[in-house]
Amino acid sequence: MLLEARNLSKSFGGLNAVTDVSLTVREGQLVSIIGPNGAGKSTLFDLLTGHIRPDQGTVSFKGQDITHLKPYEISRLGLGRSFQKLNIFPRLTTFQNVQVALFSAEKLNHKLFAHAGRMVAEPVEEILKSVGLFGQADTLGGLLAHGDQKRLEIGIALALNPKLLLLDEPTQGMSPGETMETTDLIRSLVRARQISLAFVEHDMKVVFGISDWINVMHQGRLIFGGPPEEVKANEEVQRIYLGQGEN
Amino acid sequence: MAQDRSFSSFLGIGLPAALIMVGLLAALIGLPLYVGQSWVSITTEMLIMSLAACALNIMLGYTGLVSFGPAGLYAVGAYTTAIFLQKLGLSIAPSMLAAPVLAGLIGAIVGWICVRRTAVYFALLTLAFSQIIWTVIFEWYAVTGGDDGLTSLPIPDFFFNISNCYYFTLFVVGVCTFIIWKIINSPFGQTLKAIRENRNRVEFIGVNTKRYQLGAFVLSSLFLGISGSLYCVFSGSVFPNFAYWVKSADMLVICLLGGVYNFSGPLVGTLIYTLLTKIIADYTTHWHLFLGGIIIFIILVMRNGVVGTLADLWARKKQKQL
Repeated sequence: MLLEARNLSKSFGGLNAVTDVSLTVREGQLVSIIGPNGAGKSTLFDLLTGHIRPDQGTVSFKGQDITHLKPYEISRLGLGRSFQKLNIFPRLTTFQNVQVALFSAEKLNHKLFAHAGRMVAEPVEEILKSVGLFGQADTLGGLLAHGDQKRLEIGIALALNPKLLLLDEPTQGMSPGETMETTDLIRSLVRARQISLAFVEHDMKVVFGISDWINVMHQGRLIFGGPPEEVKANEEVQRIYLGQGEN
Repeated sequence: MAQDRSFSSFLGIGLPAALIMVGLLAALIGLPLYVGQSWVSITTEMLIMSLAACALNIMLGYTGLVSFGPAGLYAVGAYTTAIFLQKLGLSIAPSMLAAPVLAGLIGAIVGWICVRRTAVYFALLTLAFSQIIWTVIFEWYAVTGGDDGLTSLPIPDFFFNISNCYYFTLFVVGVCTFIIWKIINSPFGQTLKAIRENRNRVEFIGVNTKRYQLGAFVLSSLFLGISGSLYCVFSGSVFPNFAYWVKSADMLVICLLGGVYNFSGPLVGTLIYTLLTKIIADYTTHWHLFLGGIIIFIILVMRNGVVGTLADLWARKKQKQL
């Protein structure tokens, strides 16, 4: 088991954001987490990556208990993530955004007198190519189009050579065309780099297009988990979630 | 990676910037030949102040840590040299070398506590610590001379010649500025910039942000210490107001005037600030009032400081030409 969360609970001032959630991600598995707004999906991600501490429950990654590790320690173990809100380094160039993550991955960022310039250019450019941003290497991150910034986030996460990638709404705010492209991109990246994937997503096309396991959250609880066809067939899921929209 | 060994690529800057730098350096080296002693003296002061501002800007502009207490560490440097010279009777070299060591040590202790908090809490902690340093200097009469400061320091005769003092300062400030430049453009510096841009995100690329913030704090303290020590040698005396918050505010204003996101910002800021002070003071005793007005104007109109705004304009002009 690559990632295993057991009985995670978190409340904020009386509001139960996440209640007794257990879930697993196996090696090579592509897992999605769906649910209406406020279902606790992002909070769950924050719990898994050490951004916030659970009130109860444990998280283990590659067999190691990571419940009480700090985010930077968890990242170093090979758990990368992207965020729902854009989370890049706006006043660094696209190149530097990925470069600084690679410095960290290769333990170069304590070097005081080496000239950063084009250091580790090769792997940076390879990552930029793989997320389709090579042509914009010298553009400031903050000046990229929204969809490109989302892809840059994935690029930053890839620089750490993660075993498991947690993506929080990777296609949020994208046009249908961009969403398609990004879906393809994620699918091919994950396959090429043999990364396991857990992602939160609202777009059902993306969810059913990528996942081989879908977890459904509602009001902080995990109400169902199964392969896509079972999720589609499940009545409770249809009632509380799928039935709400046109999907 | 291709190894381009030209001068400008050695520094990691474009050719125009390299030419400006060489020109500036030549002008500074020749300065005592074509201006009077008072201007040599003012320039020496400016050099020292610009080093302090550059040191502060490691935190302010490059790590995104707003410190209200740089003067405290500047004073530690100045007083270390003064006390070593006068009270311990040591010669000039160890007295000056001790300044960055002690400032770095105290900076490490203060920084270790301060980086535990962010934003305004961090700023207030730094202010509190610098006021503690000021109080210690003010009260510890036996060692620091209290309110009277330490005067008539046994500075070697060499430094009483203003040109000698100027060249010595120019050399030290030049070397230090170059080192700061190297640090800012290193992987370490890049990591600091990433922390400035998005502290949370940096945690998720596996960086212990507090450790890097502390690193920036210590480096900044070290160079502040050197700058304080230089001022001690230049003026031959030290006073408690070196550590006072007003001095910290001067340094912050200088960085903001010049622009915190540009390496030359604090240097240009020092030039503008010093010249404004001198020029306005020639005309009116209410120079603080006018200086304040001009500072407010520049900060409102040029949000990224003088250098930052000019660089933006230059970039836009270039883009139009394409």
